[in-house]
Amino acid sequence: MAGASATGVLSQLSLLEVKARSRKTQPQQQSRVKELKAKVEALRAQRDQLKAEIETHKHLQKLRASLDKQSTNEEEEEEEMEQDSEHSQLLQLMARHTQLEDLLYAHHTIGGYDVIKTRQGKGVCVSLATAYDGVFLETYNLEIDLKPTLRISRHNVPPFIPLNSLAEQNNLQTNIRTFLDTLSRHLNAFAARKQQLELVKELHKSVQVMESNVLCSILVLMFNVPKQKTAVLCTLDYSDHTRSLPTRVHFESEDEKLPDSPEWKKNCSLLKETPVHKALITMKKMGNIV
Amino acid sequence: MDDSTKRLLQRLIRRIPAQTLRTTLEKWGRLTAAQQRSMDFTQPKWALSEKLLAICEENGLTAKHITELEMTNVIDNPNQGMWYAFQLMDPEDDANSIELTQFKEQFKSHLRELVRPVSIKIKKHTDEAVWIRIAWGDSFSRPNHLKPTYVVHHLQTPYVFVTSLTSKQKPLLSQALVLSARYQAIKDANLSGRKLTAIRDLLMRKYQQVFPTMYPSPLGERNQVVSNPHIEKEQAEPAANRLQMACEAFGDGTLPQLQTVVYKLETKFRDHTNKTMTEREEPFSCVVKFASTNLLESLRHCASSGIASTPVTPLLSSILQKGRNYFVITDNGSGPSTQTRQPQT
Repeated sequence: MAGASATGVLSQLSLLEVKARSRKTQPQQQSRVKELKAKVEALRAQRDQLKAEIETHKHLQKLRASLDKQSTNEEEEEEEMEQDSEHSQLLQLMARHTQLEDLLYAHHTIGGYDVIKTRQGKGVCVSLATAYDGVFLETYNLEIDLKPTLRISRHNVPPFIPLNSLAEQNNLQTNIRTFLDTLSRHLNAFAARKQQLELVKELHKSVQVMESNVLCSILVLMFNVPKQKTAVLCTLDYSDHTRSLPTRVHFESEDEKLPDSPEWKKNCSLLKETPVHKALITMKKMGNIV
Repeated sequence: MDDSTKRLLQRLIRRIPAQTLRTTLEKWGRLTAAQQRSMDFTQPKWALSEKLLAICEENGLTAKHITELEMTNVIDNPNQGMWYAFQLMDPEDDANSIELTQFKEQFKSHLRELVRPVSIKIKKHTDEAVWIRIAWGDSFSRPNHLKPTYVVHHLQTPYVFVTSLTSKQKPLLSQALVLSARYQAIKDANLSGRKLTAIRDLLMRKYQQVFPTMYPSPLGERNQVVSNPHIEKEQAEPAANRLQMACEAFGDGTLPQLQTVVYKLETKFRDHTNKTMTEREEPFSCVVKFASTNLLESLRHCASSGIASTPVTPLLSSILQKGRNYFVITDNGSGPSTQTRQPQT
């Protein structure tokens, strides 16, 4: 204390101040340590998690590789899974999921068409599947030579689909995707129209198909109106060959007023908007035709 | 009924196969049910045709009706005579939207403008094919119903199939077809055969084609010999490969029945040991003709069994790819080796 008295009041005061300050900061420091410790814990946990993730990922990759091998080699490879079954099943599912995702991506990049290399990469074979109303129909194939220019060397597209002019219009050389898309639209619309015609013949025995053609672009049907017993000739004109719905619907009847009646006007728009076999069901229900 | 009509009917009855005579007459629909019943189909043909003549007289049927019967028969039995394929070229904008009634009217009026008298009958078959029967006449004679030309055309397709057409009638028919089907030209498709169905299926691509796709249709197992499981087939893979290539070139399943394929070679003779022939200026012409009851089947077998080399030479595979069975092969500067190579079968 002698030293303290010697230095005077001001220094005494500052000493006290330092003491007081250090007393204040001590708990602060302690909390900081705690904070840091917690952070370490959190980071450790994160590290462990990441480690586990890496582990899982490695495992997944291994599984994926064996899956890929399986699907290409068609070989049954026994997977050595020592872990608990629930865990391994999950992993297997995840591996399968990533595999499918990759496939889907590849599928998208080639435009959703099945393409395979032929003749050691000198050509490709493209498959265009057609479907209508959830039913798979004919599959059409094109074999295309790649060099010196793209050339369709072989195909099974029927002759009434203008394949060559489609190739020209869509610039096959530079824009094969557009060409395939247009062709696919033509083929799908044709398949749809053909299937609709089949369905009309199958479901509506009372409706007579008077006329149709190979492209199914014209359809003439004969209905009977129940009460008046008059016959109505209905012409469906599918002049847009990329669509499965008619662009023009025309009625003809002995009763000249009939096509102009509001009821038949409604039928006309119905036929333009719905597939013909479904429209006929509605028309039957409404009692417009037998 | 005059004599020529009678002769027409007699000849027709002789031609219709006995087994299908009843159904053909039913389809014709010119006899009453009672008349149909009164026919005894176990009788010989000459007796039947006498009976039918009497019925036709009774019903007052004319040559027009008899030609209807003929058409019914030809549509049901199209694989008679030689059929030639033609291809319409350069369609007009409205070629794809032409419909039957329009085509009928146009064809009749166009042909009548060119030749008179002429008898034309057009009928649409259930498979969307339009059948045309033409009996030609000229300024001095009436239409000759004994030698009619038959034409088969599927609307919206560029193909026309013709039988019994003389070279004099060809330009007339061509012009009428081109104008009424809304095209600008017509050419010989270099494809002919005794079976209409075969050449039609070939051009319409209605046979089963094989493509190297992701999910190939399983090829049917042919003539599989049950062998010892311990014996492994050393050549199994090349054999399967050959089969795949043969099927890619000629198709799978039942193939269109072609009878012949002709290669007319107008190429230079090449042989180092024979200088006189090699140095000749003009091409050495020769004709190579393959004939079989089912040519494509034979060629496929040649390729799959290894008699002909695979991949199949373009000369053979272009029968199906180009849809023709008559080829003229000439030397051209760019690729003489492939152009002149003779088919190896």
